[in-house]
Amino acid sequence: MVNKLKKYFALTRLGVLETLQWRIALCVMVLGNLLYLTLIFFLWKAIFASAGTDVVNGMTFEMTMVYLVLATSLYGVVELYLVWEIGRNIQSGKIVLDLLRPFKYKQYVFWENSGSLLVNFLFTFLPTFIVVRLMTKGTIPLGINLIYFLLAFVFSIIINYNIDFIVGTICLYTESIWGINIMKQMLVSLLSGATIPLAFFPDRVAAVVKYLPFRAIYDTPLTLLMEADPDWHTVVSKLGFSLFWVIAISLFSNLFWRLSIKQVTVNGG
Amino acid sequence: MESIIKLSNVSKEFKILNRHEGLAGSIRDLFSRDYKIVRAVDNISLDVAQGEIVGFLGPNGAGKSTTIKMMTGVLEPSNGELIINNRIPYKDRTKNSQEIGVVFGQRSQLWWALPLVESFKLLKDIYQISDKDYNDMLELYGSMIDLEPLLHKPVRQMSLGQRTLSDILAAFLHNPKVVFLDEPTIGLDVAMKSKIREMILGLNQKKNTTVILTTHDMGDVDALCHRIVIIDKGRMLYDNDIEHLKKFFGAYRTLKIRLREDTEEAAVKLTKELSDLDIAISNDDTWISILVNEEKTRVIKVLERIQETHSVRDMQLEEISTEDVIKKIYEGGTGFGK
Repeated sequence: MVNKLKKYFALTRLGVLETLQWRIALCVMVLGNLLYLTLIFFLWKAIFASAGTDVVNGMTFEMTMVYLVLATSLYGVVELYLVWEIGRNIQSGKIVLDLLRPFKYKQYVFWENSGSLLVNFLFTFLPTFIVVRLMTKGTIPLGINLIYFLLAFVFSIIINYNIDFIVGTICLYTESIWGINIMKQMLVSLLSGATIPLAFFPDRVAAVVKYLPFRAIYDTPLTLLMEADPDWHTVVSKLGFSLFWVIAISLFSNLFWRLSIKQVTVNGG
Repeated sequence: MESIIKLSNVSKEFKILNRHEGLAGSIRDLFSRDYKIVRAVDNISLDVAQGEIVGFLGPNGAGKSTTIKMMTGVLEPSNGELIINNRIPYKDRTKNSQEIGVVFGQRSQLWWALPLVESFKLLKDIYQISDKDYNDMLELYGSMIDLEPLLHKPVRQMSLGQRTLSDILAAFLHNPKVVFLDEPTIGLDVAMKSKIREMILGLNQKKNTTVILTTHDMGDVDALCHRIVIIDKGRMLYDNDIEHLKKFFGAYRTLKIRLREDTEEAAVKLTKELSDLDIAISNDDTWISILVNEEKTRVIKVLERIQETHSVRDMQLEEISTEDVIKKIYEGGTGFGK
């Protein structure tokens, strides 16, 4: 059992080492995020100014900003650009080498990227969280909500990974990645609440989005984080919703991959 | 001896879309159901014992890589039965991969940005190699090559030769029962080639590892393989040792001559003058090589004909080289294997 875990954590360790090799890339990423945040600061300032009230759709300007800043840094952690990687490996044929590792392919790709996920969490999300907390003096409570957040965050990673893996699997058929990947990124960042808080969605759209798995990626962990003492009913229903999708989407992506890889091994690629 | 690899009547067919040319054709292809079936591997049977080195030869696109991919479990055969280590590889790919090692000469399995030793440590953990086995293996490597400087060099800074060497070491690290080497010496200089051959041979002997090797380099074959398998157009043409093959072509001799005139021009002239004889003429900078089948034409007669019009400075008579044998088979002019 210990050995088995070691097998996976060895991949995490190497991913950490590899990510730390590219320290300039890390700095550029932080800088890029800062630029993006400046942009949304002025955008939302304008939105609130034109609304003429302090509270729009139940959110103050400060809350909206805190949400978006955290969503942006969370995006930097969760988004692993796996569709690119899987697609490239399929095109170049490197996938053959990965298939020959003593892992299931889906697990192998996940653990190979877990290192950079960890680095990004420690070097972008955590500092951002601390800075935001200090600057806003208490918009984010420190209590049981942190536990809820971490739980929802784990679910978020799993759901996002499975979405990436499903889209990556589609590359087995299309052999082209660009268009599919752009569409996936747009869809996920819009429907998950990464770019616009779900509270701002029109009622009809919100009614649909409510049931889709995407909100479990950004909306659920962030709203759980920002609420000081949510009643347990809310917590259970939110986490339950995420857990349901974790299971459903994992099953689906496993099945889809099994059928697709069969296609490849039978017909060649 | 117990066989570790067993293929019985294995075939592999690919379904390939018939593509059309031009823009209109490409759009038509989107909806096309016009497939053709390509037989990449056709009815191959093979039995390899533990510890053998088998060379897979054949022209590009002959089906060598497809056969290897089936043996590693990445591809599923369309027909026939394939057993490696008492396992059906494509059904049990994850387990199978524990006991095989693979090197594709064109591609690296190492972690690009990191020193080699980090890749080794990772492989140690994912193949669950015990500390003792790992250290023993490194010691063995150290006794064969100068390992230390290689270990601490990031893979991306390595020369192609060093990288290939590292890839081979990585493939043997978990002491697999079978190692597949797909063109391991491609693009390497002579010194590196011989180093890598020594390495493969040494590991094969010390660890009794079965090695399946594909190559286009006859040097690899002469240095490593007792047994060769020749594949062309998916079919197996030959499966035996190299001596048998030469015996089959025993009547062939290579007559090498040097003339008092420009070698290049003379070769062209000779080809014309001797066109009535059943021989093949080729040349390098100094020597003109003439491949003669003694059963049809006497070497002496060829020499006589040459001396009528040219003056010969030097000559050698050689048995047919492995390279020429293989070339003959690829060209199929001998009726061999039919």
